[in-house]
Amino acid sequence: MKQVFPREGFGTLRASWAILVASIAVAAAVAGGSHWYLERQKRESATIAKRTQEGQGRAEAARRERESLEQSADVFRTLAARGLLQSERRLDLVELVNGLRIRHQLFGLDYEIGAQRPLPLAGGLAFPALDVLASRVKLRARALHEGDLLEFIDALSQSHQGFYPVDRCVIRRIEARGGGEALQPHVEAECTLEWITLKEKRANRPA
Amino acid sequence: MARHFIYLTNTRLVSMVTRGKRIAARREFAVSAAGAEEFNRYLATLKRVPAHILTDLAEEDFRLDTVPHVGRGDRDAIFSRRLTQIYRNSPFRYAALQGREAEGRRDDRVLYTAVTSPEVLRPWLEMIERLQVPLVGVHSVALFSLALLQELDLEFPHTLLVTFSPGQALRQTYFRGDEFKFSRLTPVDLEEGQTLGTMMAEETMRTWQYLDSLRHFAAEDRLQVCVLLHAHDRGSIEPLLRGFAQIQYRVLDMAPVSTRLGLRPAPLSSSAEEVMVHIFLMRPAENHFASSEMRRHATQRVARQVLNLVSAVVLAAGLLWGGFNFARVLQANTADDRVAQQLQAYNREYDEITRGLPSLGVGGSAMRDAVTFYNASIKSFPAIHGFLRPLSQVLQEYPQVRLNQLSWQAADDPTIVPRLTLAPPTVPPPVKSIGRPGDSPLPPPPPDDGANPAFTTGRYEVALMEATVQVANNDFRAALERVERLAADISARPGYKVEVIESPLDLRPALALQGRLAEKEPPQMEPRFVLRIVRERGAS
Repeated sequence: MKQVFPREGFGTLRASWAILVASIAVAAAVAGGSHWYLERQKRESATIAKRTQEGQGRAEAARRERESLEQSADVFRTLAARGLLQSERRLDLVELVNGLRIRHQLFGLDYEIGAQRPLPLAGGLAFPALDVLASRVKLRARALHEGDLLEFIDALSQSHQGFYPVDRCVIRRIEARGGGEALQPHVEAECTLEWITLKEKRANRPA
Repeated sequence: MARHFIYLTNTRLVSMVTRGKRIAARREFAVSAAGAEEFNRYLATLKRVPAHILTDLAEEDFRLDTVPHVGRGDRDAIFSRRLTQIYRNSPFRYAALQGREAEGRRDDRVLYTAVTSPEVLRPWLEMIERLQVPLVGVHSVALFSLALLQELDLEFPHTLLVTFSPGQALRQTYFRGDEFKFSRLTPVDLEEGQTLGTMMAEETMRTWQYLDSLRHFAAEDRLQVCVLLHAHDRGSIEPLLRGFAQIQYRVLDMAPVSTRLGLRPAPLSSSAEEVMVHIFLMRPAENHFASSEMRRHATQRVARQVLNLVSAVVLAAGLLWGGFNFARVLQANTADDRVAQQLQAYNREYDEITRGLPSLGVGGSAMRDAVTFYNASIKSFPAIHGFLRPLSQVLQEYPQVRLNQLSWQAADDPTIVPRLTLAPPTVPPPVKSIGRPGDSPLPPPPPDDGANPAFTTGRYEVALMEATVQVANNDFRAALERVERLAADISARPGYKVEVIESPLDLRPALALQGRLAEKEPPQMEPRFVLRIVRERGAS
C-alpha cells in the first residue's frame, strides 16, 4: 500500500481521489437534497391531508347540520309562529288574559307580570346562540267551578301567541259567603307561570 | 479485460494480448537490441494494459531445502535470509513452501528459485518501468505448469512435463505428486544425425538418471513423461519415445489438449507458450520475481480502479437514493393532487350545503338551539290538567271524599313539598291527635327560590292534596281505611306514587290523642287528611 498512500501514490491517484470526493459530494447532495425535498413534500402532504380531513369534517358537520336543521325547521317554524323568538308583546298578553277570562267566565282575575330576566335553566343549561328570557306571571283567579279554572289555565298554556308553561298552582275551594241569590265563586286558583321568549345572541351584539 | 502476457525465453519474446480467455493478438520479438527496440515501440501502444512477464529462462535456478517448522513471521525471515544467501546477486528470487517432511522434526519442505542472471530480465523491466506499464507480476512458467497436468487429469506420483519453448528449447519439469522438484531448459541444438525425437529421448533419459541419482525414485517407481506435441511433430517424435520399466511416455496432442482446455484457436506448433498463457488465465499464479516497487503501477492501477469503482458505487447509490426519493415525491404529488381534489369537493359540498341551509331569519345554530330548548324544556313540560284528570277519575269513585285544596308544582326533585296552608276543619272530629307545639303534619316547604327561580325540566309533578272523608261519627277505622284505599287507587295509576302525609286520625304513639264526645253527636263526621302525590314523566 505504500505505493498508494504516500505522496507519490496520492499524486498519481489524485484524479481518482478527486472523483471519489466529487462523487461523495454529488451523492450526498443528491441524496440530501432529495431527502429534504421529500420531507418537505411529506409536510405539505400532511398539511393537505389535514386540511382535507378538516374539510371532510366540515362537510360532514354541514351535512349533519342540514339534516338537523331540516328536521328542526318544521318545529322551528311553529315556534317562530308562536312568537318564541319575538320580543315580549305585553299588550298581547294583557288582551289574551282578558279574553280568556271572559271566555271561561272567571269571577275575578288578578295577575302580575314580573320584569323580564334571563331564565336560569335546570342544570345550568345554556345555549351558545340563544338567550332564554322569561317574565314570571302570577295569576289569581276565581271561578264557579274548578273546570273553568283548569280550562283557563290550559288555554293559556296552549295559547298560540307565546309559551306560558305553568310550573306551580294552588287550587282551593272557597266556602260560600252569606246566602245571596247572586252566583259566587266556589274555586280559587293561584298559579305561577313563565312567559318565555328566546333571543338570538347575535341580535344582542352591537352592530 | 485485456491483459498483456510477455513470454520471455533466452532467445525470443512472445507478446500475447488476451481478452477474456482468448488470445486476441500475438507478436514475437528477438531477444536482441533490435528486437528490444521493436518491442519498445510495440509496448508503447499497450502501455495501459496490465502486463505479466512469464519467464521460461535457462537462468532460472531451483533448489530444494528443508527448514524447521516455525510461525509465518519467522518462516518469512528464514526464507529471506536463505534467498539472500543463495541468490546474493539477483533481486528476482522467490521461495515457496511445498509441504512437510513425514518423519523426524517434520520440517517444512521449501523450494527456492531465482533468475540467477538479472541482466536477462532487466532491459525488459526497464522498458516497462520507463513506459509506466502496470506490471502485475513476473511468473516462472515452470512453477505454475503443474496446473496444466492437473487440468488434464495427469497426476501421477512422478511426472515429467516436457514442453517446447519459443526459440527452440526444451523445458523439462519434474513433479513428485503435486510438488515441484526440478526443472531445466535445454536448447534444441541437434547434432549431426540426431533427430528431435532422439534428442528428446536422450534428454528425458538424462533427466531421469539425474533425478534417480538424487534418490527421487524407489526401485518400483515409474516416471510418467508427458510430452506436449503438435500433430506436425508427433509423427517424427513419438515413435522414438520408447518407454521401459522406469519410464512411460505419454504424448499429449496439442489439438485435443487445446480443446480440453478451451483454448481456441489451437496453437499451430508444438511451442507451449499459448497453452501456458491459457493455463495462467484459468488458474492465475502468484507473482514470483517482481518486487513491489516494480509492480507499483499495477498496484496504483488497481487502487485507481477500486477508487473509481467506489466512486461509481457511491454516485450510483446517491443517484438511486435520490431517484427513489424523487419517485416517492412524484407519488406523493399524485396522491396530493387526489387529496386536493377531494378537498375541493368537500369545500364545494360544504358551500352548497351552507347555501342551501334553511335560515328562517336566524342562524342555523340559533334555530337548532331554539328547537333543542323547545324539545328539552317546553315540549314535555307537564300541565296541571294532565295531572288532575286521572286524579279526578279516582275521586269520582269516592263520593265521601271532598277535595278542599291542592297545591301542584312541576319539579326536578321528587322529594319537594309544595307550599300549602292547611285550613282548620269546619267541624272538628271528636277525636284528634295533638302534637308538640310547632309540630306540623306537613314536611317543611322548600326554601324560597327567590325572584329568579330556575326553570325546571318538569320531570316530576308533585302535589299536596288536602281533603276530608265523610264517615259515620267516630268511625275512624272506616275513615282510615278509605283514605288508605284512595291512596292505593291513585298509586295504581301509571306513574303515580302517593304518600299519606296526614291521616284522618294520627295514631302514632308519640302523639297525644284528645277526644271530646258531647251528649248529642252528629250522625256523621268529616275528618281531614293530606296526601302527597308524585308523578314521574315517562313512568306512565
